Amino acid sequence: MSEVRAMEHSTLKVPYEVINKKFRLAQKTLDREVSQVQNAATEMEKCLKPGASVGEIRKLLGGVVERLQVLKRKANESISDELSASYVCKRRLEHLKESAASEQPSNFEVWQANIDNWKRIRMDRMIIEHCLRYGFYESAERLANRTGIKDLTNLEIFQVAREVEGDLRNRKTAKCIMWCNENKSKLRKINSTLEFQLRVQEFVELIRDRNRMEAVKHARKYFPVFEKDQLKEICQCMALLAFPVDTDIEPYKGLFNPDRWDELVLNFRNENYRLFNLSAQSLLGVTVQAGLSALKTPQCYSVSSKNPNCPVCEEDFNEIAKCLPYSHCAQSRLICRVTGLPLNEHNLPMMLPNGQIYGQLAIPQITKDDGTIVCPVTKTPFTDPKIEKVFIM
Amino acid sequence: MESCSAVERELDRVIAKFTDIREDSENVISDVTNLFDSLKDTLTDDEASSQISENQVTILNEAFAKMREKLHRITTEHREIHGTVSKVGKVIDRNFVSDFQATARSDALVEDRNMQMLNKLVAEHYIRQGMDDVAEALIREAEIRTEFSPKVREQSQQFAEVYHIWECITNHNLSPALEWSAKYSEELDAKNSPLEFKLHRLAFIQILSLGVGAQSEAITYARTNFGKFVNRYEKEIQNLMGSLIYLPTGIHNSPYKHLMSPELWTEAAYIFLKDCCNVLGISKDSPLSVVVNAGCTALPALLNLKQVMQSRQVLGIWSGRDELPIEIDLDPDHRYHSVFACPILRQQTSEDNPPMKLSCGHVISRDALNKLSNGLLLKCPYCPIEQSPEDAKYIYF
Repeated sequence: MSEVRAMEHSTLKVPYEVINKKFRLAQKTLDREVSQVQNAATEMEKCLKPGASVGEIRKLLGGVVERLQVLKRKANESISDELSASYVCKRRLEHLKESAASEQPSNFEVWQANIDNWKRIRMDRMIIEHCLRYGFYESAERLANRTGIKDLTNLEIFQVAREVEGDLRNRKTAKCIMWCNENKSKLRKINSTLEFQLRVQEFVELIRDRNRMEAVKHARKYFPVFEKDQLKEICQCMALLAFPVDTDIEPYKGLFNPDRWDELVLNFRNENYRLFNLSAQSLLGVTVQAGLSALKTPQCYSVSSKNPNCPVCEEDFNEIAKCLPYSHCAQSRLICRVTGLPLNEHNLPMMLPNGQIYGQLAIPQITKDDGTIVCPVTKTPFTDPKIEKVFIM
Repeated sequence: MESCSAVERELDRVIAKFTDIREDSENVISDVTNLFDSLKDTLTDDEASSQISENQVTILNEAFAKMREKLHRITTEHREIHGTVSKVGKVIDRNFVSDFQATARSDALVEDRNMQMLNKLVAEHYIRQGMDDVAEALIREAEIRTEFSPKVREQSQQFAEVYHIWECITNHNLSPALEWSAKYSEELDAKNSPLEFKLHRLAFIQILSLGVGAQSEAITYARTNFGKFVNRYEKEIQNLMGSLIYLPTGIHNSPYKHLMSPELWTEAAYIFLKDCCNVLGISKDSPLSVVVNAGCTALPALLNLKQVMQSRQVLGIWSGRDELPIEIDLDPDHRYHSVFACPILRQQTSEDNPPMKLSCGHVISRDALNKLSNGLLLKCPYCPIEQSPEDAKYIYF
């Protein structure tokens, strides 16, 4: 399985969902505008009898032509929208295809440089996605601008999310309700209760403001739609009317809790991911876990054998990797602790009398002029020691 | 790559259809509009009678019928594109893995504290690349409160400088890199690095690209700078000087056109980053990027395995193990620790089951040794020597 295949689903799926959305929008616009034209036409046909006045028919005909012009403009606009959404998707495909570097560059350095560059962009993309997921919009935007990969990220989609979240944080529901309306059919398909939660919150806020009459009106207006699935919650809400705002009785106390707004933000975020088919965990998180596991060895957790270059030995990663599985290794992979070179037939492993193994090439380095060898790990000096060859299978 | 091509095929189809229908609808609507406009004009011309004649009614009715039919066709045609559009989605789902998270066994990042640490590592990564503004935004938004250790700060600063020079090269600005390489000329030479020459070569080419007017400037540059490279790069320098012949007619269409290739810049930037980090003794990759790239190698392998295990319904084996089920093939540069795998038991040794050297020099794990020894006698599995298991020695890699 290639890396692209394993990791780039959302890179393409998100712009696809946008195409799909634009398509449905365009269809709606076309249908609406065409039926407007048809209506104007029907209107005219009614009047169109022999003997009708030319002036009036002319006027009606003018109306039809006007409608047609609107149709023409709107059709062009919405189909152009569809096209530009498709080109976004196409652009990303082009980028993914660069990973294979099909053109054979002239030398190794160029080839390696291209791969490094691609990997760097991939990591920036992952980090941007990670930031967007956790609501670090400013960081994501700065990074995207700085690295110039805005068109490869889902920044624009999250721009809407950012506005909605900001609105919710200010305890307003308007933008989120609008968002729900825009995505109504999709939300229904994924059984989202977000809109209901918003309506409940509005209801609670009205009671908090001691505006119980308005609250009842609000309930009458909005709750019946949800009666089928959320009857129990609706009943609970309605009972809220009987309680003071500072009640200590659950679940009513919970309903009055202002933290529910933060929950709404998270709820909205979650639904937004689901809408675009994004998985619940960020790719960066998953990749970091897999990478830590692939690098993790028992030595990373023993003070004596830490390696300053090893990321898993680094303090923070060390903590994160604690509960992750170790890498698997069926074939020995030995590195000399002095030279950092692999131990193999060109650099035979040698054992000092204390059982410490170093490469053949390291022995001169740790031998003093008088023939004493000081073990670099235990600091034990050995005068003219017996150094034994070790065979690794 | 087939996955990309498959999606591309479907996407191209969608784009073609959208393009067609945009043109088509525009034409059709224009046609209809023109038709009605001309009908309107005929009505004006007919000043004589202020009433519509039967003939005109038929003409208009016919026109309406035609319009309805045409507009209806456009909406239907557009609706029919739906199939092609949703095919793209299906092909994406079929060719790309959407559920990649099941490989992560534990929820190492669910805890807030661990998430904080990851965000901190991300911030460090960007400080390291000199993108302080990005890091600052992240520190603010992710509310990272822990301090960065001075060691990290210092190393980052060093690398940020290198990275800045690297960025300059990619933007075709050579002077900071030339300055740097002059400063570290001896160290670079000791490592046998081609960097300094490659940079001067690019500088020379940059002058060449100014055209024939810069000829004497180019020659002066070559005289002052190429002297010290003559021994190592005689051929290349000859080649460079030869290009001067074609300066008046343009190097782009000459046998020397390879000198103008942008690949030379990519190459120089890459060599700079590599050799510079080598000289300064710092890693060219941040810890985060090492981990992420290792993860990118590991994920496909793990996903593959998961698929197989799922289809055999043995997924249960996966959980509850403290080791990945397969070996991940990482770049040897990214191996930091010696791992000894017992050749008998085919598993890593640990403190509980350490590597033991037999008196003949072969190494096996203690568990294997206990299994193989027969009382006071042990025959080495690799050579004919018989020995006492007591003589085996605990060794450390």
